[in-house]
Amino acid sequence: MSPRAFLPDTAWTCPFCPLLCDEFALDTAAPVPALRGSDCPRALAALEQHAKRPGAPAASVDGLPATVPEAIAEAARRLATWHQPLFAGLGTDIAGARALYRLAERTGAICDHADGAAQMIAVRLQQDYGQFTATLAEVRGRADLVVCMNTAAVARFPEFFNRCEFDGPGGPRPSLVFFGAPVPPGLPAGLEARTVATQGDPFADLQQLAALVALQRVQQPRPELVALAGQLRAARYAVLVWEPASLGAHGALWAELLQRLVATLNRHTRAATLALGGGDGAASVNQVFTWLSGLPLRTRAGPDGLEHEPLRFDAARLLADRAVDGLLWISSFDPSRLPPVPAAAHLPRIVLGPPAMADRLGAQQSAPDEVFIPVATPGFNAPGHLFRTDGLIIVPLAAARDDGLVGVAEVLAGLGERLGAPP
Amino acid sequence: MTTRRLRGARLFDPANRIDGEVRDIVMRDGRIVDLDPHATVDEEIDARGSIAMAGGIDLHSHIGGGKVNLARLLMPEDHRRGIAPVALPANPLELASCGHCAPGTLATGYRYAEMGYTAAFEPAMVASNARQAHMEMGDVPILDHGAYVMLGNDELFLEMLASGEDPQRLRDYVGWMIHATKALGVKVVNPAGISAFKFNQRKLDVDERHVHWQVTPRQVVGALARAVHELGLAHPLHIHASNLGVAGNIESTLATMDALDGLPGHLTHVQFHSYGRDGPRKFSSAALALAEAVDAHPNVSIDIGQILFGQTVTASGDTMRQFANSGLASPRKWTGADIECDAGCGVVPFRYREQSYVNALQWTIGLELFLQVRDPWRVVLTTDHPNGAPFTSYPHLIRLLMDKPFRDEQLARLHPEVAAQSPLKEMTRELSLYEIAIMTRAAPARLLGFTDRGQLGVGAAADVAVYPEQDDAETMFSRPSWVFKDGQPVVRDGRVVATPTGAVHFAVPEFDGGADAAIARRLGRPLGMRKRWAVIGHDELCTCSNGGRLLASACAPRSV
Repeated sequence: MSPRAFLPDTAWTCPFCPLLCDEFALDTAAPVPALRGSDCPRALAALEQHAKRPGAPAASVDGLPATVPEAIAEAARRLATWHQPLFAGLGTDIAGARALYRLAERTGAICDHADGAAQMIAVRLQQDYGQFTATLAEVRGRADLVVCMNTAAVARFPEFFNRCEFDGPGGPRPSLVFFGAPVPPGLPAGLEARTVATQGDPFADLQQLAALVALQRVQQPRPELVALAGQLRAARYAVLVWEPASLGAHGALWAELLQRLVATLNRHTRAATLALGGGDGAASVNQVFTWLSGLPLRTRAGPDGLEHEPLRFDAARLLADRAVDGLLWISSFDPSRLPPVPAAAHLPRIVLGPPAMADRLGAQQSAPDEVFIPVATPGFNAPGHLFRTDGLIIVPLAAARDDGLVGVAEVLAGLGERLGAPP
Repeated sequence: MTTRRLRGARLFDPANRIDGEVRDIVMRDGRIVDLDPHATVDEEIDARGSIAMAGGIDLHSHIGGGKVNLARLLMPEDHRRGIAPVALPANPLELASCGHCAPGTLATGYRYAEMGYTAAFEPAMVASNARQAHMEMGDVPILDHGAYVMLGNDELFLEMLASGEDPQRLRDYVGWMIHATKALGVKVVNPAGISAFKFNQRKLDVDERHVHWQVTPRQVVGALARAVHELGLAHPLHIHASNLGVAGNIESTLATMDALDGLPGHLTHVQFHSYGRDGPRKFSSAALALAEAVDAHPNVSIDIGQILFGQTVTASGDTMRQFANSGLASPRKWTGADIECDAGCGVVPFRYREQSYVNALQWTIGLELFLQVRDPWRVVLTTDHPNGAPFTSYPHLIRLLMDKPFRDEQLARLHPEVAAQSPLKEMTRELSLYEIAIMTRAAPARLLGFTDRGQLGVGAAADVAVYPEQDDAETMFSRPSWVFKDGQPVVRDGRVVATPTGAVHFAVPEFDGGADAAIARRLGRPLGMRKRWAVIGHDELCTCSNGGRLLASACAPRSV
């Protein structure tokens, strides 16, 4: 277990979105932990959910109170009887992911994150085509043109433009373009921003832009797109921002087209992409599984070997098809992220979540076969590590307060120990 | 603690000048100890008919960090067999982990140990990605590990160099970066070139100026070599020179050697930097020129970066050169990144083909270098895993070096022009077991400053590999009968029998504490790190390294 390092001052790294903003403060002396230096609605909402200091941690077995060790022992006993477990949600940090792989490997569980659909867009892009990316400091220090592709960015990542510090001294002040999305309110002062309206078919719009960037002949090109293509070609360092979760089915093909556009630009000038996503532990768990085993999520150590099935191992599909007989659900950051109610009425489940999740679970279903174990939230009441949205930076998280909760990693290690998994 | 005596093996222990003598090795409390030959021990191991060496040390192998994981993600085909999944391990001690050229960290540890290696070092740790590198290495079981932090493309350093900063300040900055990232050494990759590519420069010769910072690779190499030397790091500046893979790059390589100005430097994967532009195809071997230069520069050490044929993936910090080679990707995909005003990376899958003139020549150049440099103490055996070939091909490479008829047989299969013209045909040298022990154990240990590793003397760490002696070196080095890590058996008859967590090596340089504050002021911009979490402390390093032991190397400051 890592040592509990409590923040010496009020400086804080927010774990509740993959920007992992670290320039704000958290005042934990206030009745509700108060955010200082930001009014990020995502952080505020998350803090509100975690506001109440839990009393004695309330684990439960089938709705009846139990101690945490009792609940772990019972969860292990049940997990051992499942023929095909599904580990889903996967809202945990790197330590949790390291323990999770060991348990999944021993139990043959299929693993999929709650945002697995969006995540697989990014995974399959990397598997089939590759990409050229920039990290936040590169965007901040180098970009002279930032194009948000089919996303206003701030809807799900409210601090994004502040995080880029486009209004700060130093780096170039970039032109900001929203391609197929409105200019959001509240941009940093002094930024030149405009919308390039599209015709609403993300594939066709991007295809036309990519063709213009490649100087291919396009019949009756739209003037706004011609202008944007010219701006991209003239930029010294263009960054194209995209959001896997904003794309629907076959999003990986769109993303591949975006990468082709960037590859075209890179023949003569410089450009890169930045994806927004991977929060709630998604990027962290995926990275850890990849480094330990060689394969990303939606993989299981099955009877035929290490099987990676980016389409078949979709948790929602498996639940709908009643293809699993037990669910281990982990959501250590978000108490409102509940396990999906499965098609099978009596799917046994083990749930790891913040204490505040207990009431919500009770309201969701009467839970005849459920073990609930309250766990700490990395970056709030436990230390931890998470990957930032740009995929190459791991940010350490410190605990802002101590609620005496166990971490996901400890619970999973406890389960593994009882199931005879190697450490 | 168990005391074990390994009895009757022929020892190859160049650090102690033991060349094949039969001697006992006694291991206790993780160390090699001196014990009366008649004293009783807990376990007596009959190793007659075997050879014993210290555990292998790979001082340049891409085993962990951002670009390695990008390579794994890029190569799902490396983690299945055709359309079938890779079978689960038969050994219940192993967790499922697979991959040939981009193996998972677990498989990396198992496969290295199964060849008798007990340590491997990640040569290209991006400072802003240091936590990931330490975590991945911490998840490589059995092996001890450490990393060299990449400097010389970070904007802070380039800015300091461009503004004529006092060398003492540069030294303090380098010291602080080593301290912050818990690095064992410092590497420079395509000096100033990774940054130049961000400014749209597509090549950068040793005396060419970075378009923005106006500094040259020569200045970067000189300044970093001096800083590393003055800080007293055991490992000399680790240098991936300019113009990797470019025909005629021997000029850059020799110029880089010259830029050291007599200070110590380790030129890495020199095979990729020893190309001439002679002949009808304007691509030729410059191995002899490189070997002569190494002989003439006692301040220089090298590792080879041998290529071997088949599928691999090249993972490098050299964004500029990886971009240039991305058109050769096989399969046709690649990935790259500009990272934190700090560094970059490029990952390009590649298949080396026997019938390719260029690939065949690369193969011969690597072997020519191994066979032509006179002093084996300045040559380390590497394939620059996975860039030249996966590390699992080391036994094959060792046989190529030790077995002239086998080498000739392989040469005959290559592109006919290469097979006909290569000077390799005339090279009769066959490396001895003693020389192999130098290049895979004693020399890397010495170059990393480890006095108690890479050797079998009393007091050394009890990392020992025992191989049943046989004529076919490839078979021999593929399957040790025993491997001991800190005195504990970790491999028996080629099979993993224990998976302890390895230790992390890092350097502890002294530097002016004032540098800390000065750097902190500048850290928010342009670097992305916050002062608050820029430094990896010992507790955090331990967490990252999966609870492995922390092995700090003290540094003795030197003056130029």
